[in-house]
Amino acid sequence: MVSLAPFVLKRPWLTKMLTPAANWYANAAGYRQLGLRYDDLLEEENEAVQIALQRLSPKEAYERVYRIRRSVQCSTIHKLLPKDQWTKPEEDVPYLRTILQQVEAELAEKDALDSMTVIKKH
Amino acid sequence: MLSRSALTKGVQHAARRSGAVSRRGFAAAASAPTGSYETADISGLRVASKDTQGPTTTLAVVAKAGTRYQPLPGLTFGLEQYAFKTTQRRSALRIHRESELLGGQLTASHTREALVIEASFLRDDLPYFAELLAEVVSQTKYTTHEFHEEIERILPFKKAAVHADVAGLALDNAHAVAFHNGLGAALNPSASFPFQKYVNEEYVSSFADVVYSKPNIAVVADGAGAQNLSKWVDQFFKSVPAAARSGQTLKSEPTKYYGGEQRTSHPAGNAVVIAFPGSDTAGSKPEIEVLATLLGGQSTIKWTPGFSLLAKATAGTSGLSVGASNQAYSDAGLLTIQLSGAAASVRKAAEETVKALKAIAAGNVSKEDVAKAVANAKFGLLEKAQTRGAGILLAGTSLVHSGKVQDLAALAKSLDAVTADKLKTTAKSLLDGKATVSTVGDLFVLPYAEELGLRV
Repeated sequence: MVSLAPFVLKRPWLTKMLTPAANWYANAAGYRQLGLRYDDLLEEENEAVQIALQRLSPKEAYERVYRIRRSVQCSTIHKLLPKDQWTKPEEDVPYLRTILQQVEAELAEKDALDSMTVIKKH
Repeated sequence: MLSRSALTKGVQHAARRSGAVSRRGFAAAASAPTGSYETADISGLRVASKDTQGPTTTLAVVAKAGTRYQPLPGLTFGLEQYAFKTTQRRSALRIHRESELLGGQLTASHTREALVIEASFLRDDLPYFAELLAEVVSQTKYTTHEFHEEIERILPFKKAAVHADVAGLALDNAHAVAFHNGLGAALNPSASFPFQKYVNEEYVSSFADVVYSKPNIAVVADGAGAQNLSKWVDQFFKSVPAAARSGQTLKSEPTKYYGGEQRTSHPAGNAVVIAFPGSDTAGSKPEIEVLATLLGGQSTIKWTPGFSLLAKATAGTSGLSVGASNQAYSDAGLLTIQLSGAAASVRKAAEETVKALKAIAAGNVSKEDVAKAVANAKFGLLEKAQTRGAGILLAGTSLVHSGKVQDLAALAKSLDAVTADKLKTTAKSLLDGKATVSTVGDLFVLPYAEELGLRV
């Protein structure tokens, strides 16, 4: 997937300009009102994410499941959480993306090594 | 050495002219393969090398990190498992694929005193593997996911293998009974060992920090020139710290012999280990080495039980494996007689063992047998040092413990002084002192130490 994020993050002035818009967008997306973090929304149904989920610490894994179940409950009863239980912007940190990147790098390396061509120097 | 008359006049002339300084032409070997290690000190790191001019090399990092030195049980095993796992610079997969491409073999193993991380490869690849070993020692990441996904995954199989090895269990128990802590620590995690309680990646990582420091490791190479090795070790082992970053040091207490008896029921086989205080690696008691060979158990020649007393005594018993040896460690030793096989045979062999010891103590051994045992013990000692794996382990272990490679020729010479009289007094003192008896298997059949006539 093509992302503009690296392009923006490389330019401090642009980052500064777009941060308020990004914050507005994240709040407007509505997941914070259900007590979720952005990483809870990642698509689970692929190998890399499954491996990454295995690597979460027991506490993180528990809290993730708790957040997801709470949000499902909220969704069922068509209500938002009380405002004090909304995810605060400083709590919305990547806890799975970092591991996922490692796992993806590992899988990519494995693929590359599995299909490498050996060029003999002699 | 060639005799003078065999040389032509020109050669004689050249020899006289060059004096003691040996010069070599292009066709001559760089140095005669002496079979002993040359040692060097490269900015605080001890390096030993032996060049046999062969096409392959074995390079090893030997660390003073055997089960004897582990602060918590299982840490040595954990550290061994983390060898060649992901480092700061490359992944475990890449390490293995790369060394596979170069035709190298990577192994990690441990003994009671040393942890050995070893690579065997073609001679030209020395720089690559020197770099790899330095990286393993100083830059391994000790990641949590590798601990859970790889180390814990094979643990049940390892435990099962340890549990199935009855003779190994008996020897392990004998060490535990003889030395209690330190050398008595179990060599491998046993079936009932609570691994998760004592071992995790953080403990392993802090143990590695203490263990992988320059004064605590030695680099040993078999099949590499001293100069070549120093060059690459100097370049790549710079990142190894001179002391532990945490400032901790290894704990080790001087070994003390206790002795006693332990009996364990086991369904898979029968083994008895009868042990006595032995001789250490420095050869403190050469007569113990000779005594071990005299008791023997395994024939060195075909179609006959040979000279050894146990082999002769148990020649008619089938399905029995007997072996007497001196397990030498840096500050203690254990003379072990290991018996395994069918329960009734093991019982008979244990009785024969004590009988043989009593015969030696009574002086009923022929001079000829003693001479054979001395010669055989010498051969065993020197031959072990000459084989690659065992030689590297021996050289590395003595380097990290005493700072120098042991002089085996002198040790072998000290065996010459052993006489029948000396064996007699030694055997007598062993029988008078406390023995160690470890029994694993069918406890209904296998004898108590008391029945055998041993003091425990």
